[in-house]
Amino acid sequence: MKAGAIVFRKEMREILRDRRTLIAIGLAALATPLVLFVISQVSTRTVAQAYTVGYTGTMPAGLDVLFNATGLNLKLVDDPAEAAKQQVDIGIVFSDKGLDEYYDPTRQSAQIADIRLQAILSKYDAAKVAASLQAKGVDPSVLNPLPVSVHPLSSPAQAAGNSFLSFFLPYILITMSLTGGLSAALDTSAGERERKTLESLLLTPAPRGNILIGKILAVSVISLVAAIAAITSMLIALSQISFGVSQGEPAHIGLSPLAAGVMIWLAVLLAASFASLTIALGTLARNFRQGQAYATPLYFITIFPASIVLFIPDFNPSLAYYLIPILNAVLVLRDVIVHGTVAWTALAVTTLSLVVTGAVCFYAALRLFTREALLVRS
Amino acid sequence: MEAAVRVDRLEKTLGPNKVLRGISLEARSGEIFGLLGPNGAGKTTTLRVICTLLGPDAGSVDVLGFDTRTQPEEVRRRVGVVTAEIGVYPRLSARENIAYFAELSGIRDGEVSRRVDTVIERLDMGSFAKQRAESLSSGQKQKVAIARAIVHDPPVLMFDEPTSNLDVLASREIRDFMVESKGRGKCVIFSTHVLHDAERLCDRVTIIHEGRVVAGGPTAEVRGRYQDLEDAFLSLVEAAR
Repeated sequence: MKAGAIVFRKEMREILRDRRTLIAIGLAALATPLVLFVISQVSTRTVAQAYTVGYTGTMPAGLDVLFNATGLNLKLVDDPAEAAKQQVDIGIVFSDKGLDEYYDPTRQSAQIADIRLQAILSKYDAAKVAASLQAKGVDPSVLNPLPVSVHPLSSPAQAAGNSFLSFFLPYILITMSLTGGLSAALDTSAGERERKTLESLLLTPAPRGNILIGKILAVSVISLVAAIAAITSMLIALSQISFGVSQGEPAHIGLSPLAAGVMIWLAVLLAASFASLTIALGTLARNFRQGQAYATPLYFITIFPASIVLFIPDFNPSLAYYLIPILNAVLVLRDVIVHGTVAWTALAVTTLSLVVTGAVCFYAALRLFTREALLVRS
Repeated sequence: MEAAVRVDRLEKTLGPNKVLRGISLEARSGEIFGLLGPNGAGKTTTLRVICTLLGPDAGSVDVLGFDTRTQPEEVRRRVGVVTAEIGVYPRLSARENIAYFAELSGIRDGEVSRRVDTVIERLDMGSFAKQRAESLSSGQKQKVAIARAIVHDPPVLMFDEPTSNLDVLASREIRDFMVESKGRGKCVIFSTHVLHDAERLCDRVTIIHEGRVVAGGPTAEVRGRYQDLEDAFLSLVEAAR
């Protein structure tokens, strides 16, 4: 294994002198907080944004107060239906029969204005009915025969934060485990052929398996560093962004020590598997650019499982699903973030699956690295 | 004299091409052995089998008594190869490049630095040893390539068209180095199609054509009645067609 250590040391030295890899890691660490900052600014602006309601006819007394309090500005127009196409966000016609609403659901501003309008009208209707009942000597509570008191076990702000984290954390972990070390992996495999150093390396008495282990270890370390740097910067950024109010204080997102431990463990397994896989693909390629072309489909394959949590938030799979590499890491992380506990059996199955995947990728890389065609083709 | 490298009825097919068709040769310690032939004759493939990069399909190769098929790592410990491809690790210095190969060749930790210093001095590389390889000239890179091939002091040295990408001065240094290595008792195998170089340097030669040996023996004997080795070579290759 001494040869593996020698190769590891040399690869690390080369990687740390490679601007491409360092810039990729630095940009990834900076990009996540930047994206989060932009998202938070947009969402803050959306909450505070006022929308315009164009109307004709006589507005019932008291309704204008509710409109102004809910961030809906009223504007008198000739034709509300026409105005709702572009000039205003919603058009309303008040008549003796009631209210006609016109809005274009393809416009996001119209959707938000509609939600606010429905809330206003519900409140208005309830207040009117209660006033009429009271005027007739009837207790308005008859309209609510089963009063409900809601007691959430965690704050809605915390739930929103966990939901956000359960998508973004696996997504960043997986993409950074793959892309963080990709440049280094291709450089140490396809790059070695392109530079014509491979033949000299294979002429040394060092066993080829040990050489490969040294290369995989170096790429794994870089992938791991890239993933942890990106996640750490994301968590630091999230600690500065408020997700609503919990118990009178602004609510921030944080990662529990348990979730952090599980995340690091999964990052190690993913980094080792991806390192073997990308080195195997790089070994097939004659040069760096060809290696990049081979590795491109990996982006789509790996991002798909991360998206499943976004599209199916309540996905509760059987244990067999935890055998599927990458998807299992996403599910384990989601469980520990949302529920705050680890399903140890699921984690054990996930670990087994990722170790086997890593071993298969290593075997494939070894086979490719030791075949004669590697030298003949170059 | 005992053969340092012995190739016996070697056959090798690469893809659809049968490249070697029963090559046999012997190279001895303390001599420069010329492996001659036109492009595509099978010279490089023969050297690649000798240094264990490729395995033989039939026949056998042994280096100082070690079989390339069963003891490839022992063979690689005893062989140094210099090719026309002077690929180096661009982000490592010349010295780091050489030290990397010294370590991989199994030189003890305490010895690496001394051995690297020795080859740097021997090849007169002191002025650029600390420079990153990406900033070196072709001649300087070729010296790095030679240094990494000899840093473990192998008894067998193989040069595969080593001067094809070099200028006159750098080529001269390579030729001088081969002669010096012969003087140190090394077995030097020199593969080339530059017959003028071969005639001046080689004690014995083997000429191969389309994967077969067409002539072999002391250089003067192979040249025979012809004016020079080039005439002999052309005549032998023509006769083999």
